[in-house]
Amino acid sequence: MKKEISEGRRKLEEELRALVGNIFVPEAKVFGMVCGCVGFAADLRGLQYDDADVFREKISAIMEEISKSVGVEPEFVYARKLPGSEEVVTLTARELCERCKREFAGSKAAPRPDIVVLKKNLK
Amino acid sequence: MVPHPGHFPALKEIIEVKEAEGLKEVEEVFMGGSPEVMGSGRGVLHAPLIDEIREQTEYAHQHGIKMNIAMNSTCTGGHHLTFEGFKMFKWYFSELNKAGIDGVIVAEPYLVELLRDFPMKTIVSVLSYVDAPQRAKFFEDLGADVITVDTNINRHFELLRGIVKAVNCDIRVIVNEGCLYRCPFRYFHYNLASHLSSLNQPRSPLFAPDFYFDKCTNIRLRDPVQIIKSAWIRPEDIKVYEAIGIKSFKLSGRTKAVNWIIDCMRSYSHRSFKGNLLEILDCPQMLRYMFYIENEKLEGCIEQWKGCKKICNECGYCDALTKEVLTYLK
Repeated sequence: MKKEISEGRRKLEEELRALVGNIFVPEAKVFGMVCGCVGFAADLRGLQYDDADVFREKISAIMEEISKSVGVEPEFVYARKLPGSEEVVTLTARELCERCKREFAGSKAAPRPDIVVLKKNLK
Repeated sequence: MVPHPGHFPALKEIIEVKEAEGLKEVEEVFMGGSPEVMGSGRGVLHAPLIDEIREQTEYAHQHGIKMNIAMNSTCTGGHHLTFEGFKMFKWYFSELNKAGIDGVIVAEPYLVELLRDFPMKTIVSVLSYVDAPQRAKFFEDLGADVITVDTNINRHFELLRGIVKAVNCDIRVIVNEGCLYRCPFRYFHYNLASHLSSLNQPRSPLFAPDFYFDKCTNIRLRDPVQIIKSAWIRPEDIKVYEAIGIKSFKLSGRTKAVNWIIDCMRSYSHRSFKGNLLEILDCPQMLRYMFYIENEKLEGCIEQWKGCKKICNECGYCDALTKEVLTYLK
């Protein structure tokens, strides 16, 4: 798992640099939440919402691939913006608990204004 | 009044559910304004420009919903009292007015007075800490059209009755705030939030930006009675407040997920909720993963709280109630 997380961080940074330019991924992690959700998240600097929007498909595909490599089913892939700005600070692929399937990912609108939904793979 | 996170699709979804389910009691929404002008009592997750505010307001009006903007920062660092600040607030209020906004929620008395020059309703924020008839009268004289009372007095019925009698403006209570009763951090936490949600940020990065939030969560984990003592009002108990002349109720939670807001809107509109009360309380949400408070078991408790003198060490009612209604989730 340690190897896959490190490799995922490196791969994401490399691919984003190839797509967009000077992107920095200082940290990547696999997490488990109290509600039951698990996920893969990468903090990043340098990516803006417009870039994420233009490369939505490609970024989702990269996140899905890395997420699967660390054992997380990427049911909900999203970017989090720095509130009130266009800076994307985190990319997350999350395997959702039943509550979050409805509450967090169940609305037609993004759950919050700082969240940009990149892909939903909900069954 | 229902919270709106700020992005247009969320507003559309809230209104869609309201209309589809005939939730007639939902008459107004509120969202944060621009952090470039002012922070607010909650984190700002969206920074709508005037054009977007206009567009959303028009949409809300087409559906018979009023739109309010929260500008309830408790500290501007004195900016409002500079010529630059004065001009900026005047300009922003004027733009909000032109955008069709129905009301502006403010905490700062200076801004209450400034809003007199505009036809929009002046809604005094819960962060003006109106907790007595005297203070309510002050704000009404300054120009308040609606006063949101300090949640600390949500269960002080004599004071609520007194405030309703003392003023002619509307009195509003927040129903689903889960903050600590008489929280020692309240003023400081909101001052911090006001700065962090504005451009007027601390000069150096904070080593503990969630200090107050973490403290308040820890207090409740160690002493769950504090959850019961909080100022929340069950959906079933709204009628008790109506009986004393309060007709306006507000849900808090504009930083929460859209579907959570919609669930709360449903419960309070139907005036009925089954399950863990913590599911519909705004803050701190994580408590719902640790405790279960069976809402049905709280039926009738409001009668005790109506006459409560708030001298907890002599009473013990909430301690006993906690043992009865609260369980730990595994």
